[in-house]
Amino acid sequence: MTLAPGRADTKISIRGVTKTFQARGAGRPFTALDRIDLDIRGGEFLTLVGPSGCGKSTLLDLVAGLTTPTSGQIVIDGTPVTGPGLDRGIVFQQYALFPWRTAAGNVEFGLEAKGVARRERAELARHHLALVGLTGFEDRYPHELSGGMRQRVAIARSLAFDPDVLLMDEPFAALDAQTRESLQEELLRIWERTGKTIVFITHGIDEAVYLGQRVAVMTSRPGRIKEVVAVAFDSREGDLRADRRFGEYRHHIWTTLRDEVAAARREEATPVG
Amino acid sequence: MADPALATRAVDEQPPRPGDQHWYDLPDDDAEPEEEPEPVVPAPRREWRPEWRSGVGRLVHRWSAVALLLALWEALPRLGVVDRVFVPPLSDDLAAGYDLLVTGQLGEHLGASLLRSLAGFALAVALAIPLGLAIGRYRPVADFLSPVLELFRNTSAVALLPVFTLLLGIGETTKITFVLYACSWPILLNTISGVRTVEPLLVKSARSMGLGPARLFQKVILPAAVPAIFTGVRLAGAYSILVLLFAEMVGAKAGLGYLIQASQSSFRIHDMYAGIIAISAVGLTFNQLLVIVERRFSTWRTSS
Ligand SMILES: Nc1ncnc2c1ncn2[C@@H]1O[C@H](COP(=O)(O)OP(=O)(O)OP(=O)(O)O)[C@@H](O)[C@H]1O
Ligand SMILES: [Mg+2]
Repeated sequence: MTLAPGRADTKISIRGVTKTFQARGAGRPFTALDRIDLDIRGGEFLTLVGPSGCGKSTLLDLVAGLTTPTSGQIVIDGTPVTGPGLDRGIVFQQYALFPWRTAAGNVEFGLEAKGVARRERAELARHHLALVGLTGFEDRYPHELSGGMRQRVAIARSLAFDPDVLLMDEPFAALDAQTRESLQEELLRIWERTGKTIVFITHGIDEAVYLGQRVAVMTSRPGRIKEVVAVAFDSREGDLRADRRFGEYRHHIWTTLRDEVAAARREEATPVG
Repeated sequence: MADPALATRAVDEQPPRPGDQHWYDLPDDDAEPEEEPEPVVPAPRREWRPEWRSGVGRLVHRWSAVALLLALWEALPRLGVVDRVFVPPLSDDLAAGYDLLVTGQLGEHLGASLLRSLAGFALAVALAIPLGLAIGRYRPVADFLSPVLELFRNTSAVALLPVFTLLLGIGETTKITFVLYACSWPILLNTISGVRTVEPLLVKSARSMGLGPARLFQKVILPAAVPAIFTGVRLAGAYSILVLLFAEMVGAKAGLGYLIQASQSSFRIHDMYAGIIAISAVGLTFNQLLVIVERRFSTWRTSS
């Protein structure tokens, strides 16, 4: 159920986006993303899965405006993306916290960039740290926090400046199962309450099905969108993972991915150009 | 803590990157993996006694080698193992030092030396940090200058003293300039390297929040470079005394270097040792002060 282009509730529209990199030491350019078409609705939770190296992070960087597409266009709210902006918040896989700033200082970073007054900044930082369950840790430096806590600070940081779009690159990958599950719950709660548009990259099929309203599956290199699976449950109450349909979605995506992962392996075994 | 090796691997070369990549656009694969998650809850305070004891134990352990050295210095000449004329016992040297102190000579020489090395050092800090920031910030400038910097870094400052003397005479200007010159290199090179090796992911993260080049520099690159800059400053602190001493031994009418040299040539061996003791005390104090300042500025670093 890919959305028709230009639909009224389309938030992010990715149109024929190709990204090539000039490999070091000449040779022909390497195509990381090949004519990606994808529409993301406002308020949607979209998860993105694909074999390692297929270009997921590259796509996220493009949507973030950190790099520019070789061809094609990304449009957010009807305006083409030309650079980074505070309408999009990114949560990087490696947290990317500023080690010389405390938890609160990190959360305030985006607010400073936005020009929020000092007093309000402190208030917002406290509020968002509380939102991710870190009350009492405002004055800790990143090295004094556990991995899961750092990730929560990073999430609080990108929530605090109130972006419409949250771009998350495998944010829970480095965490243990319990921490991951509780952060998943927290993220869903925040999403339901704030109505933000979330693009969430993950390696975990369970995580993709559990969190996403739709799961976009990418092909191995060059990255294309292979399929977009709409995930619909009768109700999100109770243990979703025990739902029969959860297993079906899971299996379907797993099969789709398996071929791609196998293709990626083959390619890695016989490197080209 | 600070890594002196930084000084020697300053201005790391990075291979040029193609396309629309700026130097801070490196893929985050280059990012260092975060350390293992650390315990969340602060460990309950241990009983104070063992902690106190181990603290004192460490202190005793750290200083026992120094104490041993001083004891040998006192004992060996007295036992006749070494010649008292050339290596007088420590207590004699200290007594000579006390005499110099009382007559005001030591203060005079010490003052002269401190003035020169502090002036040169302060000038180096004031000039080399901004210069290093400017060079490190602009990749083409850094690339252009790095062979020259490399050349100067590998030319011992001491070898250039005759050149300084030739150009500036033998007055105070020469000595301060000489110290300034020697101190500038570690600060300059470490500052450049600090700016150049800022974690690319942090830059990317800040850029994603809409920071322009100027704010990025102020809010990310500068604070991230502070530890490297301090390593340079601390090295410069040591150099400032080292090279000044040399300059004073070669040509001066005052200063600790002059005192040591003059005492030796007029066979006032006690005074010579008193001067040596004074200079090592100065060096130790200066370094300790810089360490304290450094700690204040980098509380956020994992204490080790
Ligand atoms: N700056 C760059 N220069 C050259 N090649 C790059 C650059 N960034 C990414 N690539 C290449 O583009 C491809 C896609 O990389 P990307 O990081 O987007 O993959 P990914 O899907 O996020 O992988 P993973 O799941 O392992 O994180 C990879 O083959 C990578 O080598
Ligand atoms: Mg990735």
